[in-house]
Amino acid sequence: MDSSAPSKKSRSKPLPTQATGAKLFHWLNIISLVMMIGSGLQIYNSNPVFGGRGGWQFPPIFLLGGWLAGGRHWHFAAMWLFALNLFWYGVYIFITRRWQHRFLGYNDLKALQNSQNQKRKNYSWHRLAYTAIIPVLMLALLSGMGMYKPAQFHWIVDLFGSWQALRVVHFISVPTVIIFALIHSLLGLKVGGLRLIQSIFR
Amino acid sequence: MFPDSPRLWQRRQFLQLSGLSSIGLLLGGCGLVGSDIIGKSFEPLNQSVEALLLNPQKLVPEFPASAIEPNALIINTFDITPDIDVKAFRLIIDGEVNRPLNLSLEQLQIMPLSVMTIRHVCVEGWAAIVQWGGVRLRDLVALAQPKANARYIYFKSADGYYESWDMPSALHPQTLMVYQKNGNPLSVENGAPLRVASPIKLGYKQSKWVTRITLVSELLPEKGYWEDQGYEWFGGL
Repeated sequence: MDSSAPSKKSRSKPLPTQATGAKLFHWLNIISLVMMIGSGLQIYNSNPVFGGRGGWQFPPIFLLGGWLAGGRHWHFAAMWLFALNLFWYGVYIFITRRWQHRFLGYNDLKALQNSQNQKRKNYSWHRLAYTAIIPVLMLALLSGMGMYKPAQFHWIVDLFGSWQALRVVHFISVPTVIIFALIHSLLGLKVGGLRLIQSIFR
Repeated sequence: MFPDSPRLWQRRQFLQLSGLSSIGLLLGGCGLVGSDIIGKSFEPLNQSVEALLLNPQKLVPEFPASAIEPNALIINTFDITPDIDVKAFRLIIDGEVNRPLNLSLEQLQIMPLSVMTIRHVCVEGWAAIVQWGGVRLRDLVALAQPKANARYIYFKSADGYYESWDMPSALHPQTLMVYQKNGNPLSVENGAPLRVASPIKLGYKQSKWVTRITLVSELLPEKGYWEDQGYEWFGGL
């Protein structure tokens, strides 16, 4: 598990060193999101956000839980992993001050506007992408809490305006997260190659 | 969970193959078996959080009558729509009470009328703003003089449907036994002559065609029609 050790297959440069907290967050986040999305689409199918009962449904290959009750069981179990992982990651980047030097900053915005250095620009695009997903994940959590407990958290439903708006926002977080994961991977590949991708998952 | 596949695969190959979609596929494959285990493992935790979130005295904000969505309430029934003779109808309240009751609809309608406009939320994901009118369940329970050991409440319906609730939710001031919907007498499809309505529980907890309310000290093995099929028991909102 030592990330600085050279890989057995190639004798190329050692993988970049990644902080354990960042690696753990990536693993748990990806696992929890697969479960949340699979079970979420299972729940979606019982009454599609778009079209109601007659609406288009997701095919079984994307689903988790078997039926509505099972989908809900998975969703409200995986929510703890998803939410606590996000919470502890927030605490972690705050304590380690990663939020100050690892996320999008004023420098990046300046580079995106003025820099002639394409590498520097790619780097900033990547930071923009992975910084932008944090509010999306938080929005998924907030809208989900509003739908899970609309009587106790009625202010969340009010915040989104209507029940349908709440459902749409919660659902839209699925394609948003998937598109983000692709962009994040592609930009990561562009900035640091396969070695960078490997380093975060080892 | 994966009965025979792991031995055939080396771990490395397995990890290489499992991208997002194949993890989803494997989880989907064991979903039905696994969801029972997952449900049973996490329901106690989720239930204690739900009970903790519930403030039995706090009113859920209501909507103005103009917000009513007359066509949004979908009719869901597990089996038949029972044909009840309103004149012969009786609501029985029994179990752990000192004064069992046997009430006609006229007697219920003499009691103070509570009207509330709330969001009815279905487990399927849809919701409808509905105005309900009826008697507070807490008033009925008080009339029956519950014993100190009464901790749960069962609703039995004319169509064979059955449900059980925790007492704090049942005694919530917005948990009503209703005979009016959107200002009109309740229709048979919506549960006439008498049904449960509450903003703090999912739709499947809100039994229609209720004929018997029984207070108990412990939950029976049968917790509710959908719960016994695998749905969550508390069903709080």
